[in-house]
Amino acid sequence: MSGSLQTLSDFLQCLIVGLRLGSVYALVALGYTMVYGIIRLINFAHGDFIMVGGYTLFFTIPAMLAVNDKLPIWLAVIVAIAVCALVGVTVELVAYRPVRKKGTNMTALITAIAMSLFLENLAQAIPAIGPNYKIMRRMFSNKAVLNFLNISLDWTTLLTILIGASVMIGLQLFVKKTKLGRAMRAVSEDKQASVLVGINVNRTIIITFAIGSGLAAVAALMYFAQYSTIMTTSGTMLGLKAFVAAVLGGIGIIPGAMLGGLVIGLVESFTTGYISSSLADAFVFLILIIVLIIKPAGILGKNVGEKV
Amino acid sequence: MKKTIAMLLAASMVCPLAACGGAKKAPEGGEIKIGTISPNTGAMAVYGEAMVNAYDMAAAEINADGGINGKKVVLVKKDDQMDPTESLNAFNALVAEGVDVVLGAVSSGCTAAITDAANEEEVLLLTPTSTADSITTKDDYVFRTCYADSFQGKIAAKYAKDLGCKEVGVLYCAADTYSKGLYDSFANACKDYGINVVAAESAATMETIEFSNQWAAIKAKGVGFVFAPFYYYTVGPYVVPQARTAGYTGIIMGADGYDSANNYISQGSDLSAWNNVMFTNHYDPADKNPVVKKFVTNYKTKYNDTPNALAALAYDGLYMIKKAMEKAGAEDAKSVRDALADTSTVYKGVTGTFTLDKSGTPVKGATVVEYYYDKANNKVATKLRDVVKKLD
Repeated sequence: MSGSLQTLSDFLQCLIVGLRLGSVYALVALGYTMVYGIIRLINFAHGDFIMVGGYTLFFTIPAMLAVNDKLPIWLAVIVAIAVCALVGVTVELVAYRPVRKKGTNMTALITAIAMSLFLENLAQAIPAIGPNYKIMRRMFSNKAVLNFLNISLDWTTLLTILIGASVMIGLQLFVKKTKLGRAMRAVSEDKQASVLVGINVNRTIIITFAIGSGLAAVAALMYFAQYSTIMTTSGTMLGLKAFVAAVLGGIGIIPGAMLGGLVIGLVESFTTGYISSSLADAFVFLILIIVLIIKPAGILGKNVGEKV
Repeated sequence: MKKTIAMLLAASMVCPLAACGGAKKAPEGGEIKIGTISPNTGAMAVYGEAMVNAYDMAAAEINADGGINGKKVVLVKKDDQMDPTESLNAFNALVAEGVDVVLGAVSSGCTAAITDAANEEEVLLLTPTSTADSITTKDDYVFRTCYADSFQGKIAAKYAKDLGCKEVGVLYCAADTYSKGLYDSFANACKDYGINVVAAESAATMETIEFSNQWAAIKAKGVGFVFAPFYYYTVGPYVVPQARTAGYTGIIMGADGYDSANNYISQGSDLSAWNNVMFTNHYDPADKNPVVKKFVTNYKTKYNDTPNALAALAYDGLYMIKKAMEKAGAEDAKSVRDALADTSTVYKGVTGTFTLDKSGTPVKGATVVEYYYDKANNKVATKLRDVVKKLD
């Protein structure tokens, strides 16, 4: 193959891997950003919701196949979404809401960190989970869809990108077009005024938590379809990177989380492909610092002065 | 659960003594505490658990046979979770308990973290499994049961040569003692054999799970042989399947860290990916040698599992200590050290018959094992490809 064609296929290969990584980061980042947008809380337990989703898939898939082995494996994600949404709502009701009422933003943040550690250790204490790695069943085929010009695209990658894109489009439509979506935007802009126009603020917050945590289950499907080892700390690094993605795009802004996620995924992939894999994480955080210096509110963020 | 197992194990160790009633003499001259450090939880737990099983089995056998120098062997087992900091903590805890002899740690990265401390504290450290060259070269009190990486890397290079490869690729982790050491010895041996390493791709850590871009780059170079020294927990689910997904179909060669990787394959994966994957290992469980046979049969009866190479090395490790203590007629670190430093002693173990060289590394051969897709049983199985006694 000629040199320039090889250069092109190298580039496309990195692009495909970057988009696949980025779609997962974007979905997780959406969870951070939605919760932050509505209650100004960085939900550090969000990464652990992915772990919860992952283990739900791990246990649901064999159970489902035992009932009927013709069922498509990804159907288990419905159970995972339900479990994650339930965990998210419970965390909000039991921990975040009472703390928010009594304390400050700082106490709420500490509660989120505590909740993250609590979930990890709770999971580890469950005998069926324990401290060691578990191996997930393969959810999508890793056979190639196409093999062209030295580029290979497998089913898992293709489906990850497609699921990611459709969830993001769906969420955008939901927030823009539905009554509930409008209520969410209203609450995130001004809680008091929302109450005045008759929005049930608490209910809206609960629904936001449910959707954000449900997205973590979808992200878990996409992530563990690719990386089949799961342990109780699986969500930690993923959560951290997605948090960076959310901040990079402008935390609290939904399209910002999507953009941030894709940027981080692409930076990681191109650094690995063109420079060195040892520097991939360094570059991700370097880009974060540079963007925050130039535009403190993130790429899509607006600098709004504090009202005094 | 763990507690119950521990109690059962403890009970099973006591039983033979109580039951045998004089057939063999029971140890009566007190106790010898021997410390062990292994990753019993975390990423490397498969290795840690197998080694603990083998230690327990060896100790039970030794005690049923009169102990060492008439004293009962008591194992003090520590878990390091494959974290070098934890290894050092475990080592210090063992020293604080007055242990003179320590078996461990398992991965080279972990053992490298405690070799200096062993020397300083004058505690004998015998690592059954750490293959990095640097482990035994520096410190007086450090020995091992396995061969060193310079040997493994050379075997891999020799294989590339025998297969007629002029150009090869490497995928490794530059930040890890084990992986980097193997890469160095492989690259050096390649130079000697006139083979060019045309693609050297690296991963950030041994826990890296994404190799797609690296494999794409290696594939673009058109090589048919890649040396990829990683551990089983990434080899099974990621290194090998991602290579095939990226379209690389050539040979993937690994080192002893590939042992047990076939237990770490995601169910429902394309198992034909595992053809053309081979690695150097320490022993062959199907070996007809009576020592190996007895070990494998006893282990299978006790734990219902075929022992991996790590279990075999751990088993041999404790017997090496026994031999050294008996030779010295004493159990303190200094005497055991002097006994092990004698390069004329021949050790007959499951992993071969060997002597130690000046640095404290065994002079012994290696097996080359190959993975293949066993269609009839729909699983990835292993077969012995070669036994390498010596390299010229």
